Amino acid sequence: MKVPISWLNEYVDVADIPVRELADKLTFSGVEVEGIEEIGVVLDDHFVVGEVLTCEAHPNSDHLHVCTVSDGTETLPIVCGAPNCRAGIKVALARIGAVVPEGGFTIKQAKRRGAVSRGMLCSARELKLSDDHDGIMILDADAVPGTPLRTILPPPETVLDLEITWNRPDCLSIIGLAREFAALLGRPLRMPGVAFETAGEPVEQLAAVRVEAPDLCWRYTARVLTQVEDGPSPAWMQRRLEQCGVRPLGLIVDVTNYVMLECGQPLHAFDHRHLADRTIIVRRAREGEHIRTLDGMDRTLDSEMLVIADAHEPAAIAGVMGGAESEIVEGTRTVLVESALFAAPSIKRTATTLGLRSESSHRFERGVDLDLADWASRRAVALLAQYGNARVAPGVIDADHRPAPQAPVRMRFQRAREVIGLPLAPETMIGHLTSLGLQTADSDSESATFAIPSWRVDLECEADLIEEVARLHGLDELPDIMPLVLAVPGTDDTRVRAVSLCRQTLLGFGLSEAMHYSFLSADELNTFDATANDRRLVLPNPVSADYAVMRDSLLPQLVQSLGRNFARQMEAPALFEIGRVFSQTPEGGLTEEEHLSIGFGGPFGRGALDRRRSVTNEEALLWLKGIAESLLCRLHAGEPAFEPAEHPAFEPGWGISVALAGEKIGLLGLIRGTLRHAWRMNVPMAVGELKLEPLLAGFDKREPLKPVPAYPGVRRDLALLVPASLTHERIVEAIREAAPESLTDIRLFDIFMPKETRGERRSLAYTLEFRSAERTLTDDEVNAACQKIIKAVSETLGAEVRAG
Amino acid sequence: MNLEELAALHAKSLAEIEQAETPAALEQIRIRYLGRNGLLPAVMKQLKDVPADERPAFGRQANAWRQALDAALSTRGEALADSPAGTAPAFDSSLPGRWFATGAQHPVSRVIDEVTRIFGRLGFTVADGPDIETRFNNFTALNTAAHHPSMDAADTFWFDDDLLLRTQTSPVQIRVMLNHQPPVRIITPGRCYRRDTTDATHSANIHQIEGLYVDTRPVSLADLKATLATFAREMMGPGVGVRFRPHFFPFTEPSVEVDFSCHLCDGKGCRVCKQSGWIEIAGAGMVDPRVYRHVGYDPEKVYGFAFGMGVERIAMIRYGIADIRHLYENDLRFLTQFA
Repeated sequence: MKVPISWLNEYVDVADIPVRELADKLTFSGVEVEGIEEIGVVLDDHFVVGEVLTCEAHPNSDHLHVCTVSDGTETLPIVCGAPNCRAGIKVALARIGAVVPEGGFTIKQAKRRGAVSRGMLCSARELKLSDDHDGIMILDADAVPGTPLRTILPPPETVLDLEITWNRPDCLSIIGLAREFAALLGRPLRMPGVAFETAGEPVEQLAAVRVEAPDLCWRYTARVLTQVEDGPSPAWMQRRLEQCGVRPLGLIVDVTNYVMLECGQPLHAFDHRHLADRTIIVRRAREGEHIRTLDGMDRTLDSEMLVIADAHEPAAIAGVMGGAESEIVEGTRTVLVESALFAAPSIKRTATTLGLRSESSHRFERGVDLDLADWASRRAVALLAQYGNARVAPGVIDADHRPAPQAPVRMRFQRAREVIGLPLAPETMIGHLTSLGLQTADSDSESATFAIPSWRVDLECEADLIEEVARLHGLDELPDIMPLVLAVPGTDDTRVRAVSLCRQTLLGFGLSEAMHYSFLSADELNTFDATANDRRLVLPNPVSADYAVMRDSLLPQLVQSLGRNFARQMEAPALFEIGRVFSQTPEGGLTEEEHLSIGFGGPFGRGALDRRRSVTNEEALLWLKGIAESLLCRLHAGEPAFEPAEHPAFEPGWGISVALAGEKIGLLGLIRGTLRHAWRMNVPMAVGELKLEPLLAGFDKREPLKPVPAYPGVRRDLALLVPASLTHERIVEAIREAAPESLTDIRLFDIFMPKETRGERRSLAYTLEFRSAERTLTDDEVNAACQKIIKAVSETLGAEVRAG
Repeated sequence: MNLEELAALHAKSLAEIEQAETPAALEQIRIRYLGRNGLLPAVMKQLKDVPADERPAFGRQANAWRQALDAALSTRGEALADSPAGTAPAFDSSLPGRWFATGAQHPVSRVIDEVTRIFGRLGFTVADGPDIETRFNNFTALNTAAHHPSMDAADTFWFDDDLLLRTQTSPVQIRVMLNHQPPVRIITPGRCYRRDTTDATHSANIHQIEGLYVDTRPVSLADLKATLATFAREMMGPGVGVRFRPHFFPFTEPSVEVDFSCHLCDGKGCRVCKQSGWIEIAGAGMVDPRVYRHVGYDPEKVYGFAFGMGVERIAMIRYGIADIRHLYENDLRFLTQFA
């Protein structure tokens, strides 16, 4: 909302207060000033009216003109590039020595492509009058050459740019803001005059109004003017419209816009000739009915949209935009002025459905003063009578179906003090509210009841009044102290601490935390896993196709980020993400679940001096598995079980599933080479995704404390050469089966494939630890146990054994 | 070899030890005399060839030499170890140590941790809710009129007439109030969604932190200011102050926008605060009685305030991040700066 200070000053005295101070007053009472714009500057005597005497094309240029310009005393040669320069026009001339406001450069005698130029013809933008830079300013033909420009140009203006919050539609007008300033400054409000004379046939004989949808049209007033002389509106009105961002079009339309900006009531003027049967019918549109709106677009309406129709067809979309058919055009002499009140939700729906917003719909959507329609109609008619010499038909058609006015609202002084936190006296609070136009209907020592003015559609209950008191009083006085904090019972932060430990553990492992959008493109998801496509949740109204589907896995984005980081020369990028995934249940419900993704590429885990050696698939997947195992261990999540598993994005044979207590909680694996190649990645990329909740479940659990061993353990090493297909798990099982209870630990410490076995056998070496809680074990006992184990693994597994 | 020759060897060896300049040289001497093929073992082997009458004396002399050698080697060895010249070549302390790689926490999650820690000290407990919310929890119960612009399909991701991606974390407040009687003091960090086209300052995914305190004893705007002022000092620095500007939010009344004095210029005005000395950080206010009615609280019997702030915005101000897109690009050259 743009507010020229000089316009505001017509209704309340503000011109004597510095603009910065006014802006702060407004901002700290709840209407934020987003900008202060200065239009125009005071020009010195170097700027005068000039007359273009001759204007010829420049011989050495395809767009410059060589002109002679009179400044009233002498004739100056001037080179001008403006397309609208021609002989005979009066122009804004900057003489030698002038400092041009826009750009701040000084005019000097110059040669332009060989032609002498002694001055400059200015555009409106160069004089900081507007943004117009399409050509030079053309002044009134009767301007006298040599007259200082400052005597004929409008004085400089300051315009406030305001952000009006949704609850304050009453501030969407100059008078509404004047009312606000009157309350803030304690100064009186002046309302403009609305008097006019009438003549001719009464309005009832010129037009009829029928409201068929009183639920959507609460009031409809119509006045008719005849013999209107349409033409340009007065310069001051055009200037104000422009300063508020509205283009002047001609007196009739300008007056309707001017009054809307002035008081907040949208108005519409119909060309009376084009209203069939001179009848206005306010009705719901017929399904599929068409109208061509003022912007030239053909609109299809539905049966919930309100239209202003004549006897045959819609002439306007109520409260949103007029129709092209009944538009005010050259030759319009008889005008019907509509000033109406439409139900806010209906206007909002229509404007949204049609994707059509206007200054009018903007105000109706938020709520227009319930009592304003007739006053605004009079104001517009008075201006048209004054500036368009119009004849006003006596009377008004007023179809009034307004709901009951707002009920009075009671405010308890003690409650207000408690909510605001300041010891305000009742008189102070009543004073703030009455300054806003609220009237005390009733009061006692504990409370007061206030009648709500028709323009404050937002004031419905006590809290609304307390807010008005707070913002008018100002909140600077609120003390800045330490708060009193009483503990709240029954709170639990276990999960927060569990997630935090999970995060900190992964950070400690050297993985950095990533964060990706919750949605991505269908292509990205399908490249990763096309089989899940049916279960994914598609956004009906995405911002773009790149963000159209909710992620059902954290992995596609993790893989992309790892790949991109690798492409940016990160040797071993490692990332994790804690985030939500979304999917559709077979029944059509929407579900979401928190997941953890982990992953890395290249020589993760290795020391700095050991990074050049190539990374095998086995090493990469074992590091990943190790991250998962260590994390689960740290979180006391329980003993995980791993099984071979496949995933469309994994290298075949290089995926494993993770289960806790029999429930599958996720997958780990190596990304297929074909997916890695997008980043020219020639090293393994290992990624995994786990459900988060099962990881956190054991966070607070503690095993009972075990006694610290009192007797030393005895260790034996055992190296087994076994068929390559025999798993570590199988070997451990076999050892355990054959071992006595005193075997407390089996640790793999070496693994390799002897070359001579040509990949058919591999060697695994284990440290076995024996220990008793009661005594030190003897060598003989341990040797006997080892012999038993060696015998068992040789016979059951066909292992060649080297014991040590 | 006779006794004189042995004595001469003895003296020579001690002199050599005394002159040894480095541990390596000393080691060479040790090997020459005491090594497997050293001179002392050679002397001991000759013992059987010494005439019988001289043998005891020769043996004693040889043993004395061994002891003298050991003592001299040890003394000289310690002396060399203590001298700086002696240690220099042994360990190059400028070699890089063996690092434990640690990861970097994402700045958004860092800010969430820090904010929840500070409010935790003020008695607020973290509460959480789903990203997919209902119209009731996200709008209706928060007193957002059915035709309020924030409900537009242009601003909100709707799945159908009822379900949507939450636009704020306030629905968590509704969930908590529906399930708990006052007092309630919660802080709700979480992800929210806006139909914004991504640019330097807008993102379709953002994180918010909201706080809610509702009690049966009076809670005022002054308490809200005290709480946020404490937060401001803890988060941004001890000199930072808070000011309220009246504003409008559907779910609070009175509503205020909360500015922190600029921590970079002490409120004098700089590029970050756009010369104003203040930075807009949060929205806040006293909970609107219409919200209480939606969750079954008696508005006459409870008092409370709520506040909310954008995590990305705080991270950007706090760490001087110029473009919000950095936060979702996951470039390790950016992220590792937060380690």
